[in-house]
Amino acid sequence: MRKVAIVGIGITPFKARYLDKTYFELAYDATKLALGDANKNGAEINHNNLESTVYGIYNELFERQFMPDIFINSYIGMNNKPGTRIASGGATGGYTVRMAYAEVASGLSDLCLCLGVEKCNDCYDEQTGVTTPEVLNAIAYSCDMTYEYPMGVMAASSYVSMVNAHYEEFGNPTEEQMAYVSVKNHGNAMLNPKAQSPMKVSVENVLNSRIICFPFKLLDCCLYSEASAALILASDDKVKELGVENPIWITGVGAANTDCFIGNREDMGRLYSNIYAAKAAYKMAGLDYNNIKKQIDLAELHDAFSGQEVISYEELGFVPFGEGGPWIEKTFEKSGEGPWLEGELPCCPSGGLIGCGHAVGATGIMSTGEAALQLRGEAGKHQVTIEKGRAISHSIGGPGAAYAAIIVMANEEGLKKP
Amino acid sequence: MSEEFQDHQIRDVIKINYKYTMGGQSKFFIELKNNKRLLGTKCTKCGKTWMPPRINCSDCYEPADWVELQQTGTIEVSTIVWYTTSAFIKAIPYGVGYIKLDGAETALLQGIFSENLVPSKIKKGKRVKVVFNKRRYGKMTDFFFVPDEEYDKWIAKPEYEGGL
Repeated sequence: MRKVAIVGIGITPFKARYLDKTYFELAYDATKLALGDANKNGAEINHNNLESTVYGIYNELFERQFMPDIFINSYIGMNNKPGTRIASGGATGGYTVRMAYAEVASGLSDLCLCLGVEKCNDCYDEQTGVTTPEVLNAIAYSCDMTYEYPMGVMAASSYVSMVNAHYEEFGNPTEEQMAYVSVKNHGNAMLNPKAQSPMKVSVENVLNSRIICFPFKLLDCCLYSEASAALILASDDKVKELGVENPIWITGVGAANTDCFIGNREDMGRLYSNIYAAKAAYKMAGLDYNNIKKQIDLAELHDAFSGQEVISYEELGFVPFGEGGPWIEKTFEKSGEGPWLEGELPCCPSGGLIGCGHAVGATGIMSTGEAALQLRGEAGKHQVTIEKGRAISHSIGGPGAAYAAIIVMANEEGLKKP
Repeated sequence: MSEEFQDHQIRDVIKINYKYTMGGQSKFFIELKNNKRLLGTKCTKCGKTWMPPRINCSDCYEPADWVELQQTGTIEVSTIVWYTTSAFIKAIPYGVGYIKLDGAETALLQGIFSENLVPSKIKKGKRVKVVFNKRRYGKMTDFFFVPDEEYDKWIAKPEYEGGL
């Protein structure tokens, strides 16, 4: 396989509502931003130079359009070139990066656009006069429609099952430990101008916010967003040909789908997809699952829910199983006022999903782009210290968090370091 | 030059009607509806019991036979939902959980009803029993679980009944 680099990054602000843009207009904006970024970094390219697109769009019901990718394809001027759509629940973004990587690594394309978009808040619940219950309903159709949907299952009750099972097994994460994640990610988002939910909140604020799904409270949950994110991926030769100054190399892509029926799993307190995806990604990148925390500078995690970020620490190899809760507690005690950009391994310096919002198909592409910006040293106010030159992004989603994808990245220095 | 943006929104709904087959799993729903029996399947090779049932074992690629499961079980994990989708928002709060029926190896997602719906009532390890709707359609909503100690109260209600 050929080496593949991220040479352009475009992320629109994550917002509750874009009344002035459709999904394809948002997709255009991210594409234009990514092209602008590539040009700023030495490449002289426009959309005509892009050879293919891989689209990350989770939900037809949000977009009110089946096959929304073909309408984007038209609007962004990519007619008569290959375009493939990926839809893998909340992990759509990470999976889309993986497939765009494959498009270039395989030699099918030298320059590929990886483009995610979602526009959820066109859904509208007439009975309550707000969008959220209808957005949640459009998502709940991702559960098994015969056995699960009729029980009133939704994203939060699906994820909370695994978090509660983890609590039953290990005694954590406690409600306070989950609240630390919320405080951290809302707080970090205050340094990210693209974030939807920048907020200084206290542990008490989180604990006192309205109950959603026991024990998740409102501030433990990410908000759904409208946004788009795009990456331009280039082959090794193309990076040289274009004279890109700061390529960020994708060194590992790992993905796994675990059983979508939580009740079929050996242990319900695990997100097995995380474990298999992480091991595959680290192995490909030549990193060690048991020592990963010391080999990377930051992790942009998929914190759809605070408690799920905590158990992901364990599954991604940062700490042994059962020690996620105590680990966030320790991090929090060291920098209680935030921002949380230092420590053993900064997680979600961008604010993650809880801070930035969750524009499903765009999210994993945004977090990969954010990690790449960190490795360039261009993350802005939420820049972390880059010593190892490596970072990961994490995407998870689907019924029972059945899908997961992990992307490992390195800058030029990171490629050389052991 | 700079004209102020004015948005235009259109109301719409997507609606599709279905009459879908449950294929190989049809027997589960027929027995549920007609005979209040809960059928799982057991792999003819490895012996794993599947619930929800599958007529093929996904582990062995061998057929699985129908087996009747007990109508008693244990809660593996649960939650109480206080905010939810447009389709269920009128039903809050409600309990859902994964229940391992006695004799099954996998846990089934179902509604857990209680007259006093608090986390401790439906927590892991609690023993539960199946209550059936008197009017059944051959759907998952034909039955639900209640804590053992509330069973007699629930089946005394006019719209519900006990199992076999």
